[in-house]
Amino acid sequence: MSITVNIHQALRHLINNQATAEVSGTTVGECLADLVRQFPCIETKLFNKKGKLLHYVDIYVNLESSYPEELAKPVMDGDKLSITLMIAGG
Amino acid sequence: MLTVDELERYDRQIMLREIGEAGQEKLKRASVFIAGIGGLGSPAAIYLTVAGIGRIRLVDHDRVDRSNLNRQVLHWDNDIGRSKVKSATEKLKRLNPEVEIEAIEQTITEANLAELLTGFDLIVDAMDNLPTRYLLNKAALDNNIPFFHGAIYGFEGRAMTIIPHKTACLRCVYRGVIPEEKFPVIGVTPAVIGCIQATEVIKYIVGIGELLTNKLLNYDALNMEFTEFNVKKDPHCEHCSHMKTTG
Ligand SMILES: [Zn+2]
Repeated sequence: MSITVNIHQALRHLINNQATAEVSGTTVGECLADLVRQFPCIETKLFNKKGKLLHYVDIYVNLESSYPEELAKPVMDGDKLSITLMIAGG
Repeated sequence: MLTVDELERYDRQIMLREIGEAGQEKLKRASVFIAGIGGLGSPAAIYLTVAGIGRIRLVDHDRVDRSNLNRQVLHWDNDIGRSKVKSATEKLKRLNPEVEIEAIEQTITEANLAELLTGFDLIVDAMDNLPTRYLLNKAALDNNIPFFHGAIYGFEGRAMTIIPHKTACLRCVYRGVIPEEKFPVIGVTPAVIGCIQATEVIKYIVGIGELLTNKLLNYDALNMEFTEFNVKKDPHCEHCSHMKTTG
């Protein structure tokens, strides 16, 4: 299983300044767990202490919002995930 | 009716089949409310002014600070300490005296927003914080006013167009708040996003093209990539789920 994850600009320094990473899993949650296995520093930027996705993190699967299933949303080989953060500057 | 001066001033855009004299007249009859006249509001206001929008209301409570000048291009070095709406109005009137520009030096609140919006056809969201953006989103929905969202952070920007009763709203996409913070930014990022907002406004008024509705446009300036995320109306949205959907 190979799924490409596009990482928000503000988090790229946590994955060796890459824009994307390859992960495996059958759900969004498994893919993010694999990402955290590869890059442990990213964990606290995505999840709270209870392991829930932070409310300002949005995950898109093939450019479609994963909300409301979020971590439970199934993914397939070749899917593209995007991790985005809410922004509000003007 | 357009005047001889207006026909000359807008000649190059009236040449566009999509605009023509009829489109230019629609722009002249339109009134646009711009919330915030900083990094996003400056380019949005400049291009809406030169395009010939009839009436523009600028609302911002802030004063010009030296640290604004890397991006808020309507404010210049000798404006430091002055009211942003006054500084902006002065330049916009010189850019295009045909446009009626109103400056309102106020903080947007739940209490004053409905009154501030009275008589305006469209809202440009050029704020720098989520709580006010949510107030604007809610007021746009309640008053059935199209809402043009833009936001930036560093080398990244977002834009989305919201048509009440029809499309996903800002609250369908963003569900919480983020702490207000000093955000990093370089002027070229809000320049792009503010111009995208102005483009959406012009298209909406004239009635041409495809709008950024049910789409969150993400601009990654570092990789020079534009991505459109598809978003849907959230059936549980705090702001729009109670509203009847049409069209
Ligand atoms: Zn909504």
